[in-house]
Amino acid sequence: MTEFLNLMLEPLQEVFLKFKSFLPNLLAMLVILLVGILLAKILRIIVVKLLIAVKFDSWSDRMGFTTLIRKGDVWTKPSAILGAIVFWLLAIVTLMVGLSALKVAAIDQVVGHFFGYMPRVFSASIILVVGYILAGFVSRAVLITAANSGFHYAKLLAETVRVLLAVMTLAMVMEQLKIAPNIVIAAFSIIFGGIVVALSIAFGVGGIGVAKRMIEREATETTAEEPKDEIEHI
Amino acid sequence: MSDFYQTGIITTLHQLGKPSLERLESELHGFSRTRPVALVLPALYSEFEGPAMPGIVRELSKVKYLKEIVLTLDQASEQQLEMVREFMAPIATEVNIIHNNGKRIGEIYETLGRNGLDVGPPGKGRSAWLAYGYVLARAQSSVIALHDCDIVTYSRELLARLCYPVANPALDYVFCKGYYSRVSNKMNGRVTRLLVTPLVRSLQQLVGQHGFLVFLDSFRYPLAGEFCMTTDVARVNRIPSDWGLEVGSLAEVYRNYSPRRVCQVDIASTYEHKHQALSADDASKGLMKMTVDICKSLFRTLASDGVVFSDGLFKSLMVTYLRQAEDTLMKYEADATINGLEFDRHEEARAVEAFAKAIAMAAQVYMENPMGSPLIPNWSRVGAAIPGIFEMLQTAVATDGK
Repeated sequence: MTEFLNLMLEPLQEVFLKFKSFLPNLLAMLVILLVGILLAKILRIIVVKLLIAVKFDSWSDRMGFTTLIRKGDVWTKPSAILGAIVFWLLAIVTLMVGLSALKVAAIDQVVGHFFGYMPRVFSASIILVVGYILAGFVSRAVLITAANSGFHYAKLLAETVRVLLAVMTLAMVMEQLKIAPNIVIAAFSIIFGGIVVALSIAFGVGGIGVAKRMIEREATETTAEEPKDEIEHI
Repeated sequence: MSDFYQTGIITTLHQLGKPSLERLESELHGFSRTRPVALVLPALYSEFEGPAMPGIVRELSKVKYLKEIVLTLDQASEQQLEMVREFMAPIATEVNIIHNNGKRIGEIYETLGRNGLDVGPPGKGRSAWLAYGYVLARAQSSVIALHDCDIVTYSRELLARLCYPVANPALDYVFCKGYYSRVSNKMNGRVTRLLVTPLVRSLQQLVGQHGFLVFLDSFRYPLAGEFCMTTDVARVNRIPSDWGLEVGSLAEVYRNYSPRRVCQVDIASTYEHKHQALSADDASKGLMKMTVDICKSLFRTLASDGVVFSDGLFKSLMVTYLRQAEDTLMKYEADATINGLEFDRHEEARAVEAFAKAIAMAAQVYMENPMGSPLIPNWSRVGAAIPGIFEMLQTAVATDGK
């Protein structure tokens, strides 16, 4: 009977002992989560106030970021969005640090992967922001230049440039995040290469006559004699 | 039938004989291919519960030449917005509703505010201004017509006559104001009859033949809420957000365009809409509020054009106005008598006294702060300050409409 009881109690004891040794880790995780989320909230408030102080919202309005986020049906202030991003980023980091405090091998591995991936997320975000600004800048420059040159389809051209640059930026971001990099590179090469080939063919075939006329005119102009200036300048 | 006399420096388009509505609409249909027309309707939800709106919707459902209708809805919940959408469903023309109390449009107002663009408090001025912005953002129309949503005697002839002068490329008008007689069994339109006209003429007596006063005096009904303009006018004009909307808008038209390109058109033989109480003892509501705002707008417009206002001028103005208003009152009494209309001389005289008080209040406010509340900036400036505002506005309306 005692043997049977021992057989029953031993695993329970083992579980209790394991739990006893695990309890401090669990408590540590809970404390980390609590403190981390509190800190994240405080930091969110500080970030939002700082962004408001430096007039980040107005800057976003002028740079077109606000319009971009509105397209995604997000109608909060850009500063509040950035504050929320900071909060959730810190909350996730806190969660990861908290989980690592449990000292479970499998979780440690996941946490390690997460922190290893963070620099990629960071650089991808920078590429995305810089790409967006650059696309807007180049597109506007193309629009102004083309419109001033009297090109009828200036808006279309500018929009095409913007879309192409946006596609390129997205491809770079996805490559950076290592999301199906082979497919992304292949798709990007095919799309870009396809567009360039299509344009070459369109211009090459459609513009034979124009190119011929231009070359002939150029040749005639260089061979023709310069008219003599009969007016004597003072 | 009205006479054909041309008054003032703008063109007056009378209703002579019985012009065919079918001809007008058919011609408008032709013009709309090159000059598409947008109709802007600033409305409160309460107006959909009143007697006017069903008639307006019924008439608009027969109109074929409009490219789009933009309804700016104020004081309405999400549920009421849905009801309004259903209410407008019989109209075949594309109807887009700007929900002024929605969170998306609210965020747009906030975006404008944080960029130093003061669009003023809620009201017809702000609603109309936002609707112009939306029409400009869509870039589908080149003519904008606007009328109130409380017209009980609405007929589609009103809209056709209002749009025609601007939509017809051969006439070359950029701005057209509607006019009509405000007569039921008595004469209505007290603010125009007993305030604006006598005040403008008094000012002319005191400051001389000022261009804007002559321009304003040329309008038969300067406070009419019905007008039509090209989208270029909507882009460059600034408007007041308060009751000075009509006078302020005319001031901007006078400032930006030649009177030769401005006209007024007889749009209705009868016109009935909701009446405002005089509220002579409270300058913060009713006709008194309207009167103070109109006077302030007039004084500021004249001051911005170089007229010097002083205590002495205002004192003289009060006396001159009272004389002018009394003379006008007698003229209207005679007019009412010959036409067998009711005419309560005591009530009319009380209105004149209240208006005189309002002029004094406006003068005091002006002297304390000549700059006053700024006009709502024009869309050219807004576009320069926030390049993506048009896109944002379109997104907001499109998402609200889903």
